[in-house]
Amino acid sequence: MYRPKTSDIWPPRYGLGMWAWLFQRISGLVLALYLIGHIWVISFSIAGQGGIRFDSVLETLQKPYVLALELLLFWAVLYHGLNGLRVILIDFGLGIREQHILFWTAMAVALALLSWGIIEAWPYITGTPLI
Amino acid sequence: MQFKFHIQRYDPSSDWAPRFERYLVELDPLATVLDGLHKIQEQQDGSLCFRRSCRSAICGSCAMYINGTHRLACKTIIKSLRTKNIKVGPLPRLTIIKDLAVDMGPFFEKVERIMPYLVANSSPPKGERPQSIEERRAINEMIDCIMCGACYSACPIVGLDKDYLGPAALTKAYRFVGDSRDEGAGERLSLVNNQHGVWRCHTIFNCQKVCPKSINPTWSIQQLKKRLTRRPSWVIFGRKG
Repeated sequence: MYRPKTSDIWPPRYGLGMWAWLFQRISGLVLALYLIGHIWVISFSIAGQGGIRFDSVLETLQKPYVLALELLLFWAVLYHGLNGLRVILIDFGLGIREQHILFWTAMAVALALLSWGIIEAWPYITGTPLI
Repeated sequence: MQFKFHIQRYDPSSDWAPRFERYLVELDPLATVLDGLHKIQEQQDGSLCFRRSCRSAICGSCAMYINGTHRLACKTIIKSLRTKNIKVGPLPRLTIIKDLAVDMGPFFEKVERIMPYLVANSSPPKGERPQSIEERRAINEMIDCIMCGACYSACPIVGLDKDYLGPAALTKAYRFVGDSRDEGAGERLSLVNNQHGVWRCHTIFNCQKVCPKSINPTWSIQQLKKRLTRRPSWVIFGRKG
């Protein structure tokens, strides 16, 4: 008897549902780690005398690469939230046979909101407005 | 036409781990993968081991991992694979007994756990227990299940939780819960109402993707969840996992 490894979760072997599930897990981890980091960074800002640290922390947070990373965070929020809605609908027994349509609708909404975010954030990252 | 079969071999008496072996087979493109396996076994290597019975997608014995997905060897026309290289392996995640034959024991043990038979407490009427066309239509999809184990093997949750009942057993459970003649719904729902039952399903839909009979087990599992949530809360939460 040969017992193969049981942790085969490589999505290309399966379908859209597997991708959706795996990215839900990854975005969830990203958000959880972000929250820890966020509390950690903010806790620095009240340290030091006369708010000196506060100013330096805020300065770092306004650097373009931090703002660009924030767009990634925005995408994680959008994906996790909107795909989460899809999963909740499925758990309510709605749209199980239309899960592909549900997924792509959620992604269309997420992309629309992300492009809005990019347009808004662009001037702060590059210094010139996108549109 | 000549096809190249890459077949995963494993002989428990001499191999530490599975290996691939290549066979060149002359076949009609409209033949099935199972025909190819038969030809190899008959003409090239008599030690090749695989399960099959009906050759017509009814018995569910020949589910294998063919060119990257779960398929029934008897239902897979070689031409439909659009390649001359055919890679055949046993169902992933299941324990291999020899070559392409896997241990289906845990699978059937889990199907047995959900009482896969009609429970009728009332005394039988004269003749048979009738069912209207509409009542039968409600479970048409679930009845099509041939228990080949493709969904069970494709489900990542089965890989992560060895006690998880799996899509096939849960679909079988709904096949009886949804049956108008069945009277065992209460007991059956209690059997799937735990962390190794319906609540383990993460709606990943791999089962639906690979089912050779186009059944959607996720749908059945969600129907069971729906029935369970209609029960009073102390019944849902009262059971230990």
